[in-house]
This record gives sequence, C-alpha cells and structure tokens, in this order.
Amino acid sequence: MNEIVKQSVETAVSQVLGAGGMTWTSDVNGNSFGWVTLCDPKVLLLVAPALAESGARLMTVTAYRNDKFGRIEGREIAYHFDLDGVVVTVSVCLPDDPPRVPSITPWFKNADWNEREFAELYGIVLEDHPNPRRLFLDQSLDAAILDRLVPLSTMMNGASTSTLWEKVFAGKQLPEWTKGENN
Amino acid sequence: MSSTTFTLPIGPLHVALEEPMYFDIQVEGETVRAVELAAGHVHRGMEALAMQRNYFQNVTLTERVCSLCSNSHPATYCMAVENLSGIVVPERAKYLRVIADEVKRIASHLFNVGIMAHLTGFDSLFMHAMEIREIMQDAKEGVYGNRMNLGQCTIGGCRRDIDDSTAPFLLGQLELLKPQLDELYGVFERDPLIRTRTRGIGILSAEEAKRHAVVGPVARASGVAYDIRRKAPYAVYADLDFEVQADTKGDVHSRALLRLREAVQSVKIIEQCLRQIPDGPICIKAIPEIPPGESVARSEAPRGEVFYYLRSDGTNTPQRLKWRVPTYMNWEALQVMLASCQVADIALIVNSIDPCISCTER
Repeated sequence: MNEIVKQSVETAVSQVLGAGGMTWTSDVNGNSFGWVTLCDPKVLLLVAPALAESGARLMTVTAYRNDKFGRIEGREIAYHFDLDGVVVTVSVCLPDDPPRVPSITPWFKNADWNEREFAELYGIVLEDHPNPRRLFLDQSLDAAILDRLVPLSTMMNGASTSTLWEKVFAGKQLPEWTKGENN
Repeated sequence: MSSTTFTLPIGPLHVALEEPMYFDIQVEGETVRAVELAAGHVHRGMEALAMQRNYFQNVTLTERVCSLCSNSHPATYCMAVENLSGIVVPERAKYLRVIADEVKRIASHLFNVGIMAHLTGFDSLFMHAMEIREIMQDAKEGVYGNRMNLGQCTIGGCRRDIDDSTAPFLLGQLELLKPQLDELYGVFERDPLIRTRTRGIGILSAEEAKRHAVVGPVARASGVAYDIRRKAPYAVYADLDFEVQADTKGDVHSRALLRLREAVQSVKIIEQCLRQIPDGPICIKAIPEIPPGESVARSEAPRGEVFYYLRSDGTNTPQRLKWRVPTYMNWEALQVMLASCQVADIALIVNSIDPCISCTER
C-alpha cells in the first residue's frame, strides 16, 4: 500500500519540481515519510493543487525560525500532509522581508486555522487568505510572539498594582519606584 | 442581519461547556442559521515553552497538554525523538505503551458518552457511565499510581512495569468492566430518550468530513475509516487483533455508539497485550544523543490522530516542537454540524466532537 501511495506522490511532486525533488525516510515500523524542500514560496501554489489532486490531507503546518534565538535571520514553514498513511512534509523557505507566503486554504479547507495561527505567532504575511483574522491572540496583542526571545527575567517582571505596595509599605512613605508608570 | 434573526452568544464561560470557547450563533426562532467560533481564551504558549526545555523535561510538559489524552502526547513526542535519533524501544516497553494508551482511551470515551447522557437530561445514566469509568480510574491508580497523568512514557521506553501483582489486578478490572460496558452500550443504543435526542442531529457527511479533514471518532462515524493504529502502525499495533470501528450515519448518536464500541475493542487489545507481552527491559539504559534534523510521529489518541513534528539543531532543547491535536480541525466542522440545528441541541452537538480546548490552544 505504502509503495503505491509513494509512487503517486512522487509523480505529483515531480510534475512540478522535476525528478529527484523528494527524499524518503522510514521508521522502525516501515512507515514512510517523504520530504520536499521549496526555496521559493510561490512554488507552493503549484505543489498544493498537485497534492490536493492526489488526495492528500493537510495535517498541520509548522512555522519556525532557522535559528531559535534569531542569531541567523530567516524563517521556514513545514506543511505536513497525509496520503493514506504516508506523511509528506513540504518545507518552504521564506526569503522575503517581512516573510510572505501564499495561502493554501483554497485547496485545503483546514489550512485556514493553521495559517492564521502561524501568521499571528510568527508575523508571517499571508497572501490571499480568505479569512485573515486573528485566531487565538487578541487584536490588542503584538503579533510574532513566538518570533521573539523573551528572557525569563523580563517575562517575570510582571506589573503590579500600587495597592500591593501600599500594603507592603503600610504606614510608611511609599518609595517613588512603586508609583511607576506600569503600576 | 434581518429582523427575524438574533445573535445568541454562548461562552466563553457557559454552563454547558467544560472549557472556555466562544460561539457567536445567529438564530432564527429556535433554529441556528450561522456559527462563528472565537478561540484563544486559555492559550498557554506551550510550544514556546517546549523550545526552552530539554528533551526529557518535554516528556513531562507534553503529558500536560491534555488530561484525557495525557498518555498519547508524551508517547507520540517520544516516538518523534526516537525516530530522529534512531532509538529502538524494547519490545516490552512497546506493549506497555499500548496498554497505557488503551486504558486512557476507555476512560476518555466513557467520560464523553457520560457527558452526552447528562446533556440529554438523563442524569442517572450520566452517573452510571461515570461509575463504570471509575473501574478504569481505579485500574490507573492501582497500576500507575495516578488517576489521570500516568507518567508512563519516557524517551526510549517506559517508566513503570506491569508485574505479577498489577497484571492480574488490571485483568480483574477488565473483567468487571466488560459486562457493564455491554450493558451500557445496550442502553445508549436502545433507550428512547437517548435516541430521540441524539439521532439525526449534528450530521456530518463523508464529503464534509473529508473536506474539513476531521479525524478520530468524528471521521469514522461519518464513513472515513481512518485509524492511525492500522494506517500507519506504531508500537505493536501491527501484531494485535482489533477492528477499526466505522459508521456511515455521522450523527451524534452514531459517534457515541462508535466510542463505546472502540472502548470494547480497547479491552480486547489490553487483554491481548497482557497475554503476549514478552519479558525484557522496559527502557533503554543510555541517555540518547539527539542529532540535528527533523522527524514526525503520529498516534491514535482517543479523539483521533495526534501529530508531532520535531526539529533539532543538535542542542539539548528542541529547535521547534509542534503538535497538532485531533480537536483542532474538528472545531471547524461544527459549522456544518450545527447548521439548521435547534438551539437546545447545540451543547449536545458540540460535545459529540469530544472537544478539548486545552489541546486546541496549547
């Protein structure tokens, strides 16, 4: 079964990328994993319909930085498809600044939420998305939360109300810093 | 909006919902005309946390993604790490993982059908289902020491063996469970109240199920007989005899019955595992090296396919760890299932996808 599916994916991908555009790995149980890398996000507009045609199901989409700490610039997106038990991962480099990627929601209905999620978490610009609203994060929050390194010390430097300090310094002069702007 | 339709907000905090989700529902009289979902009320940023913890700490973290699928997450995460670093898990550990997964599946499914009974107003049946579920809760507590998070999986194997005292105890619990599960199935199948309230509502056709890429019991009750345990076998599922449950009706009733049939299959799987389990180590000894690279792993959680993608830069923390939970796609399919339903059925239909919000928002 695996072999027939692998063949049909290979055919679909090679029609777009030419032969040799795909590599395969497998796990100890003999399940196959196909890997494709696209250096131009525009090619996604050719690969997505070809995969949809061959009956692929989009499982999810992963966006990530090439370097977790941002020491090297660059982001990539991995699209994970299932074809009757075979997993195919299509990784797309995003060379533009700000990073841009075309939406594949026209071919895969469930890409909608996945795309909106990576757009808000990584600040990636979605092109031609039918419903480009925030998914999880409120409009008042900054985009690209996962794109930033927030040191633990900053994260824990939470705001506090002046009521707390009034209790702590009950009966004494409140120090100036307790009346800071963030309080 | 015409003057005959009204907006009915349900959530984010609502008596019929276990967790916060906001439904913006357009109703015309008692009939639902359109549904909009707003998520994000309990977003925890766990994927960002996972990038700051080492590979072993993430076993503990992923176990806390979801309480009802709490074994599926670390098990699948460990599989992704093992696929990347080429670790071969001892045979005995693979059986132990399957046992833990199936014990959790029975408890999870019984919880869901119990809540369904509660939402139909049949509270004595709800309590009865929860009482039967208690047999599995006791089994978990007796075998693993915990009632929800079993803490069973680790990279390269399992942490707790099933020995000569716990194996007979677990089998005894299954013997207690079997007749009660059969009886419960009969009630859910034939009870006039359950049938009247749940048959023919929340219908999802096979085409819509494929279009929304739904997974798990929601897909299988709509005729998409996709089960990772058969389609892409992991652990020892390839050596086990069980039937993938499927139906074609795609309504609330068929999804509940399918879950109960799956629980029966799970009992069969655990019994086989306890019979076939070989002797041997339950975990590898060495601390594994995680090379740079990427890997994926999947498993069939109670709610459907769980997917993990791991990307390593060669350090002791993941460059990126992404997981996709079964409920994620199932939410959007609610727009189809809720179309033209009655207001009174909304909670029943939402419950029939066995929604998990802590999973969805991570």
